Amino acid sequence: MPDDSTLPMTAWTMAVVKPIADLDDHALVVEAVAGNRDAFDVIVERHRRAVYQVCYRFVNNHEDASDMAQDVFVRAWRGLRNFKGQSALSTWLYRIAVNVCLNRVSAKRVPNAPIGEVDGVEDTRIEGAAQAMMREERAIAVRRAIRSLPPKQRATLIMRTYHDMSHQQIADVLGSSVGAVKANFFHALSNLKKILGHKP
Amino acid sequence: MTHLTPDEVIDAVDGLLSLDQKAHLSECPECRRQVDDVSSALAEAKQTSVPEPSPFYWNQLSTQVRAAVAADASGNGWRSWLRWQVLLPLGGVAAMIVALMIVLPKREAIVIAPEEPIAHEAAIAPDASGDALELLFGEFDLDTAAEAGVLEPGVADRAVLELTAEEQAELTRLLQAELTRSKS
Repeated sequence: MPDDSTLPMTAWTMAVVKPIADLDDHALVVEAVAGNRDAFDVIVERHRRAVYQVCYRFVNNHEDASDMAQDVFVRAWRGLRNFKGQSALSTWLYRIAVNVCLNRVSAKRVPNAPIGEVDGVEDTRIEGAAQAMMREERAIAVRRAIRSLPPKQRATLIMRTYHDMSHQQIADVLGSSVGAVKANFFHALSNLKKILGHKP
Repeated sequence: MTHLTPDEVIDAVDGLLSLDQKAHLSECPECRRQVDDVSSALAEAKQTSVPEPSPFYWNQLSTQVRAAVAADASGNGWRSWLRWQVLLPLGGVAAMIVALMIVLPKREAIVIAPEEPIAHEAAIAPDASGDALELLFGEFDLDTAAEAGVLEPGVADRAVLELTAEEQAELTRLLQAELTRSKS
């Protein structure tokens, strides 16, 4: 029987020693690139919620968000060998997600409602407490307002507000300057304020 | 000092203004209003969560991704060919094939070229003359050649007249041999 202590500590031997679910993102990527689909399953399990939320905030409906989240992970699988670990895996996945969202938005050409002319709330989810209902209605209004923003403003707002990405990281994702990201963020929040100001 | 620019308003929200900018902000109601608006919109956006899908959804998403990845890996196997490790050798083989296609006809020409003198010699060698003429002209007679503009009318007559007596005798012998062969 071979002495395991003499083996180099590769990702494979780490996987033997540690359960695959305990590996960090980098080791999982190494495993997945080597063809281990179980490792990729763990990556999906770890990041699916965040990726889905990026997509949901972009399109504001479950069906499209789910479809896009799936697309994000398939693209991630295809491009995994290009991931060099210079950023966190989550940042890399957000980048793919934002690109999928921007592509989808431009492909569908969903007309954005003019700022300040967003329709009233349609969802009439009924909850026990009136306060909870009002809060939920307001949340729906905010999500709809975000969805009505121009795509780059929307992407900037989502990444900055909900995923704690720095201006520099967002600039890297969008391929723009930090100044442009800040300006986009400013306009996104100003427009949001304008829209929500009409729906107190 | 001029009003804060949009990115400076964001810096103000992030608490990153310089002393000069802070001083301006404290004195400028317009800039303060902008910073307040942006801050309140940000606070409201932060409070808004995404509706939580069904608890069963997450495993369903994982299953869908697994199936899509499997389909992508098997169904789109051609993608694995689109790598330089594969394309480079393939390109080399393709280049070799193209090079061979260019070179091979030249080699054939080299092989055929020595046969032309043989055909010419065949005109002198009686036993090979018929084959050589047929090889050179086949069904192509002088009238056809003249019509096609390959030969000028009367050029064959002039060529015969310019032959020496010995050559004319040889030509006569060849023609008679050809006539005999065609009759038989």
